[in-house]
Amino acid sequence: MSPILSLRGVRQVYGGGLWARGAAPAVDGVDLDIHEGETLAVVGESGSGKSTIAKILLGLVAPTEGEIRYRGATLASLNKTRHETYRREVQAVFQDPASSLNPRMTVARALGFIVRHHNLAPRGGEHDCLARHLAAVNLTPPAQYLARYPHQLSGGQQQRVAIARALLPRPSIIIADEPLSSLDISVQAQILDLLRQVRADSNVGYVVISHDLAAMQSIADRTAVMYRGRIVEIGPAIYTRPFHPYTRLLLDARLSLDPARSRIRGAAPPAPTAEAPAAGGCHFRNRCRFATDRCAAEPPALRPLAGDGTRAACHHAEQIAADIPQSEGRHS
Amino acid sequence: MTAPLLDITGLKVHLHVGERIVRAVDGVDLQVAHGTCVGVVGESGSGKSTLARAAARLLPNLPATISGTAQFEGRDLLGMNERALRGLRRRHGFSMIFQDPLGYLNPTQRIGAQIGEALSDEDGAKTPRIAALLDEVGLAGARDIVRRYPHELSGGMRQRVMIAIALASAPKLLFADEPTTALDVTVQLQVLQALYRLHRERQMAIVIITHDLAVVAEICDACHVMQSGRVVESGPTASLFANPQHPYTARLLELSRRRAGVRP
Repeated sequence: MSPILSLRGVRQVYGGGLWARGAAPAVDGVDLDIHEGETLAVVGESGSGKSTIAKILLGLVAPTEGEIRYRGATLASLNKTRHETYRREVQAVFQDPASSLNPRMTVARALGFIVRHHNLAPRGGEHDCLARHLAAVNLTPPAQYLARYPHQLSGGQQQRVAIARALLPRPSIIIADEPLSSLDISVQAQILDLLRQVRADSNVGYVVISHDLAAMQSIADRTAVMYRGRIVEIGPAIYTRPFHPYTRLLLDARLSLDPARSRIRGAAPPAPTAEAPAAGGCHFRNRCRFATDRCAAEPPALRPLAGDGTRAACHHAEQIAADIPQSEGRHS
Repeated sequence: MTAPLLDITGLKVHLHVGERIVRAVDGVDLQVAHGTCVGVVGESGSGKSTLARAAARLLPNLPATISGTAQFEGRDLLGMNERALRGLRRRHGFSMIFQDPLGYLNPTQRIGAQIGEALSDEDGAKTPRIAALLDEVGLAGARDIVRRYPHELSGGMRQRVMIAIALASAPKLLFADEPTTALDVTVQLQVLQALYRLHRERQMAIVIITHDLAVVAEICDACHVMQSGRVVESGPTASLFANPQHPYTARLLELSRRRAGVRP
């Protein structure tokens, strides 16, 4: 079965004219397949290009190079009807729910537009349809929330409304860009539970963009790790069996919740600093303690490393996987 | 036993919002001993930032009723006039750093000048002292940084510049309001390491305001948990994490551990 969304050789360079000199690409040659019903997490630090991937998948940004395919056909080739289907099937949830809801519209009015646009309810059935969807995201009693304006809702409730809105047109996939990071930890847990519940009820898939590895570990089927615009590792088990040194670095940088195991209080070695990107070869080699001459000479390609579909872009992946990670056991 | 460096008792900050009164801080006692690192944790709206700002006398001029006491080395902070306050901020008193350094750095002034401005004139030439401060916050490798503008720095570098500026007055106490929340995980680790080293080497007390219990676990000696303007639990970090007494603390810990994938 063909993937719902695929990226092929996608490159995105922002800016142009005056600012184009030496502009580093935000996304630099990404291939990615997203399958029906799967939850794919895209993790990385700021500037890694993960949000640009979300924008490209949503069709909000047309990539500088490469193509995006929806069920096998390039976006550009879709006729009006098919493009409308793509728009309906691929929905979005953003980081800051307050700014993604119109402050001057009640929930009922904002969501009513979508019901009418996609003909989701029979004449007169709009209210019932909305009430059902709000109940599905645990906003009960729905009637009470439908009448409210965004500022009358808490951050968590706003994010629930944003999720209900995304679910209304019965999407196959929801692209969520940092859906948790503006929320308190107790609310984050509720939203994660809600995402799981919705997935179980409707077989919707997610692409979740996040810098938060811990939260993604609990929800993702597969995780892609991005570094400077490239996917450096992708697979189902990157949290417990990292192949790429950057994945290792991210896992090792997590703070401990056990005061007795504090690494900062103990004589921790200084964390590696972010060096300027290396030209040619592997982009990560300046931060990498495994780097050799080969890494400077030859850019590593994503290559299969385990039977479960894990791929990593590192010449020394086998050696890194064999080396016992420092993070192992710290969080268990 | 000597008097604490910072002694807050019964502090209340009641904000007047239209007809309503918001009890942002509602009777907080908090002591910080010389050279210790204390965490104040809570979720948004718990009053933790308002508490720190009230103590550092950095609350914006809003209609508010502030009561209770806050003393720094026995001197009344809340009633202190601007001149005395300025003296404390400039020499061996307290400084504060924030989540978003870009909002507190002057976008039109080079980094070197901004650090220099915070240094007093009496201690001799500024250039070597600026360089020494940059060394201390781990920016030794970036000599040209003094000539750059804030927008030319990464988030982690900006936060370190903020810390360097805060250190210029050789403070005995540093308030750090969510110092690493906006930073990437690898950078967060570096900035916390830098803060911890300064705390040890300078014997500088730190009050860290954070929503992240892991930050507390990593560097704080003691911890205060805030909820709805009140401190619901206080104690040494190790025992508070091992044996939380208040249900809210227990819940925050459980959620944080579940999130980090730690099985109880």
